[in-house]
Amino acid sequence: SHQKKTPTFHDKYGNAVLAGGSIFCISAWTYTATQIGIEWNLSPVGRVTPKEWRDQ
Amino acid sequence: QGTHSPGSAASSSQRRMTPYVDCYAQRSYPMPDEPYCTELSEEQRALKEKEKGSWAQLSQAEKVALYRLQFHETFAEMNHRSNEWKTVMGCVFFFIGFTALVIWWQRVYVFPKKVVTLTEERKAQQLQRLLDMKSNPIQGLSAHWDYEKKEWKK
Repeated sequence: SHQKKTPTFHDKYGNAVLAGGSIFCISAWTYTATQIGIEWNLSPVGRVTPKEWRDQ
Repeated sequence: QGTHSPGSAASSSQRRMTPYVDCYAQRSYPMPDEPYCTELSEEQRALKEKEKGSWAQLSQAEKVALYRLQFHETFAEMNHRSNEWKTVMGCVFFFIGFTALVIWWQRVYVFPKKVVTLTEERKAQQLQRLLDMKSNPIQGLSAHWDYEKKEWKK
């Protein structure tokens, strides 16, 4: 009869490492992209009201 | 550990550690030139002598032991699904996330102060200038601007 394989590190903690890494990655990038003051230079179309630039 | 576990028959023999040598069988390379174990104990050498005779004389355990001397893994062990990718991808995602923290640090301590041309007012004025020049009138910026009503087309 075949001996049952003893679980490796990956069997025991693989899911936890994968989940932890993914959650950390998503939350860190979400925070960095939205909360620290980076501006993404979106298109002004429909969003920005133009303002007269000539000297009045 | 049972006789089918790797290492039980071969534990007393010295073995090469690197997998990049000829003694490691793989699915793509099932019959390596060299046996897995090269330095045999007295008992193992006796078994090797016995192997030269009729194999009907060998017990099941001896056949398994001889297999373990010759090969690193069975095909069942080679084909066994591994969960290693989970650990690997988890670590990859961790370091990608760590990169975001580095960028945060750079935003706070490295980035220069915003230049005046990037303020909201200046950008609105630049937009008016682009519209005055009728920039990109076919499909681009000016195509979306209604010059009659002075507002964005709906």
